[in-house]
Amino acid sequence: MSTVATSQIKLTPEHARPRASVRSRLQDALPKIVLAPSFAITIIFVYGFILWTIYLSFTNSKTFPSYVITGSRAYRRLWGWTFDTDPPSSWYTSITNMGIFGFLYIFICLALGLFLAILLDQKIRGEGVLRPIYLYPMALSFIVTGVAWKWFLDPGLGLEQTLHQWGWTSFHFDWIKNKDFVIYTVVIAGVWQASGFIMAMFLAGLRGIDGEIMKAAQIDGATTFQLYRRIVIPLLRPIFLSAFIVLAHLAIKSYDLVVALTSGGPGGSAWLPSNFMYEYTFKRNEMAVGSASAVIMLMTIVAIIVPYLYSELREKPR
Amino acid sequence: MSAITTLARQPSGGVNARIVNRIVIYGLLALFALFYLMPLFVMLVTSFKTMDEIQNGNMLALPQAPTFEPWIKAWSEVCSGLTCVGMKGYFWNSIKMVVPAVIISTLLGALNGYVLTKWRFRGATLVFGLMLFACFIPFQSVLLPMATVLGSFGRFGVKLQNATGFTFGFGNPTVNLVFVHVVYGIGFTTLFFRNYYETFPNELVKAAQIDGASFFQIFRRIMLPNSLPIIVVTVIYQFTNIWNDFLFASAYAGSGDVMPMTVALNNVVNTSTGVVEYNVNMAAAMIAALPTLLVYVLAGRYFVRGLMAGAVKG
Amino acid sequence: MAFLEINGLKKRFGQVEILKGIDVELEKGGFLVLVGPSGCGKSTLLNTIAGLETITSGEIRVEGRAINDLHPSKRDIAMVFQSYALYPNMTVAGNISFGMEMRGVPAAERQQAIDKVAKVLQIGHLLQRKPSQLSGGQRQRVAMGRALVRDPKLFLFDEPLSNLDAKLRVDMRIEIKRLHATTGTTIVYVTHDQIEAMTLATKIAVMRDGEVQQFGTPAEIYNNPTNLFVADFMGSPAMNLIPATIGTNGNALSVVLQREAREPISLPMANAPAGLSAFQGKPIIFGVRPEALTDPEGAERNASNIATADCFIEVVEPAGSDTFAVTNLGGKGVVARLRADANIQPGTNTPLAFNLTKAVFFDPATENRIL
Repeated sequence: MSTVATSQIKLTPEHARPRASVRSRLQDALPKIVLAPSFAITIIFVYGFILWTIYLSFTNSKTFPSYVITGSRAYRRLWGWTFDTDPPSSWYTSITNMGIFGFLYIFICLALGLFLAILLDQKIRGEGVLRPIYLYPMALSFIVTGVAWKWFLDPGLGLEQTLHQWGWTSFHFDWIKNKDFVIYTVVIAGVWQASGFIMAMFLAGLRGIDGEIMKAAQIDGATTFQLYRRIVIPLLRPIFLSAFIVLAHLAIKSYDLVVALTSGGPGGSAWLPSNFMYEYTFKRNEMAVGSASAVIMLMTIVAIIVPYLYSELREKPR
Repeated sequence: MSAITTLARQPSGGVNARIVNRIVIYGLLALFALFYLMPLFVMLVTSFKTMDEIQNGNMLALPQAPTFEPWIKAWSEVCSGLTCVGMKGYFWNSIKMVVPAVIISTLLGALNGYVLTKWRFRGATLVFGLMLFACFIPFQSVLLPMATVLGSFGRFGVKLQNATGFTFGFGNPTVNLVFVHVVYGIGFTTLFFRNYYETFPNELVKAAQIDGASFFQIFRRIMLPNSLPIIVVTVIYQFTNIWNDFLFASAYAGSGDVMPMTVALNNVVNTSTGVVEYNVNMAAAMIAALPTLLVYVLAGRYFVRGLMAGAVKG
Repeated sequence: MAFLEINGLKKRFGQVEILKGIDVELEKGGFLVLVGPSGCGKSTLLNTIAGLETITSGEIRVEGRAINDLHPSKRDIAMVFQSYALYPNMTVAGNISFGMEMRGVPAAERQQAIDKVAKVLQIGHLLQRKPSQLSGGQRQRVAMGRALVRDPKLFLFDEPLSNLDAKLRVDMRIEIKRLHATTGTTIVYVTHDQIEAMTLATKIAVMRDGEVQQFGTPAEIYNNPTNLFVADFMGSPAMNLIPATIGTNGNALSVVLQREAREPISLPMANAPAGLSAFQGKPIIFGVRPEALTDPEGAERNASNIATADCFIEVVEPAGSDTFAVTNLGGKGVVARLRADANIQPGTNTPLAFNLTKAVFFDPATENRIL
């Protein structure tokens, strides 16, 4: 509703009040003074640094930053590598991995999350036990998740070995060591970590649906399947959107998981653009190329997030 | 709050169909519970086994002769790279980083949320939008400039050291990480408090103004005492995020005895000298996971609320 | 010089002018009610008096001293809010004494003041409770206690009763009136409920779209509304506002009301307002309150100008204390207020008495009263 304001009145000449004391003017400015450091920090360390990174991407920086603009060489190299498929360049591997990982990770998390949420919403005894079990991986770091799954998927020690011991000797599962399949193990670990949270989001959405709508649909003779397909899932649309944003954001940032699970995979075959950026910037002394890849990552996020944030903030302008 | 009860109540199909239905549902739920529990279970049992048992036994079997040896070794002896002093030092590094970073970012978030909702000014939404967007950037896009700036902090620290005998924290990797986590955490903490205070009645602030309370008195006496739930949510969220961070930690404190837990764990697991002691690795991973797991077990409700609040913006 | 004076007060928010030049004054010990539909600016006006919102131009004076530059806490006011705005983390005693604490009043003195107020409002047994443990009515009392304890020059009430249920609202209304009578404080009170306005006020300002439509005593506002809006807004059931034309009846003017499928009614005016003669043969709005339209037996005996006409009764609503009858005149439903035991049947033609001394006339073009 209305705003709370302390700052005082515009003066009309005939009613000129005595000049406000320094103290009271300080009081009026206090809220802005309090907010200012945080805002300045954001402007400098987020937006300033982004500009800085963009600037670096147009220089010939190698091991150390150079501030001589040399044009879009770094981007041209990335562009060239984008089509370097034989043998695949690290950049080509990174972006195809991003495509595979991003799509599968988001899709499976959404599908599994929704599926589990619907199952859990069937008046389940023991929901209070099951829900935290599905959700706890979200409390772990990517590093711990990676370590756990590295062990679990290791052909010599983990699942394969266990099944061999149980007598299924033909079972073969070595994706984590296979350069063509290693990215799928990242998907498995990623889904394991995030899908429980997506389930919780959907479950909260399901619990928020007006019970009378459901009753009305049942009276209209909808079967359970129809009820979900025609009524419930359309009502969950905002949750889909939020979940998608969360997952897309997590996917683009998933650097740690690749490192801990695969150490980059055989020959860097599990790299995502985030790993590419880190390696090129800090290990291969190609700072400009690293910066350019960071800019491309940022632009991808911007394309997804900005329209979303804009609509969210605009819907509730106050 | 409405559970959808229809699966159990369809008129078509008799009692048998209903029972089959329930069995299928519970079966699926149990199967997925196994899927989620398995890695933790394997980690846990492995951390209590001897190496003999690991090499010759089944991954899923319970330890024959449970031993705390791997845990003790992980805590005080395990090698990270070439230094073999256990995880304990890195554990405290993480604590020393997390506690101040959480306190500072939460306090700033609370103040920002208070200003943005109760002392609105022209452009407040824009300010908030800019701070909110900062939550989403891939940190790779600020990694390098921050490294440069932290480097110059370090040089400044040396100068201070020469001039005054103290560095005042400039150049200290833990201080650096606290700074970085505060900088990139205030977007989230501001979001949490802003959304919480948005529903906090403006009339309370007006009443306090009429009662003569100042800006900070209103914050301390009226806002903060009524903010316990969101403080818990924010602290848990920040704690989990900062404890689990790997990117900043490895970029700005990636070697030596200043590493936080996550980096150290990754080094331990990837140390290839000698025999790989899986049981010790798993114990180390469990030690790294315990604080956040503990928070999750003790305050799961707030944990989930934080995640949700972080997910549903605006 | 009045106790509270508001002169030419304007408030702009961006491009929108929320208050468009308000002039109001109130004597010491008076009870001013700001009433109007939501969005009319009444709460904004109250907030500017409190100092919770800035003003664009104009001034607010209390006892001759301009207060518009003062911080809310320096204006010597107290305010009761719609939601009561009790601090949830403090006890009732803490709530009441918070303002004194902020002003640095010693604890012993605060305790005395709390006890005194608690006695007046009979909330002594609640002092150690938290607001969440109180009922709506109790919260309302505590909110008033917090205001009373300041012993301010001016009390401000922002829709204080609108969160209470109907019965409690009536009780608290009486309580506020009693409080005003016994303490003799000066009050500015905002409400959208015109009954509250009528029952409580010594002065009413009816507001719409940031302007005061009419400022006067409750009787003036009720009997002599200056325009259609005020006439329509004040009174329940609302005044009948019937499209009509002015005809002549010999030397006198008459009001001609159309009826469905019958010849029009012509009501002779014995004492028409002077301005009405200019409207001969033209459309006007004829305003008559339901209590001035009744069965001939129930009509006011000593009114000088009563005209009776047959009306077709469409609906009868027995309300216990009265019976309301709805007829159709000038294309609109018209409500008549009859005695509870009046013998009246729907679907019949029944004579109704128009008390024309109480009738008012409006120009449909300007919506202003014809005087």
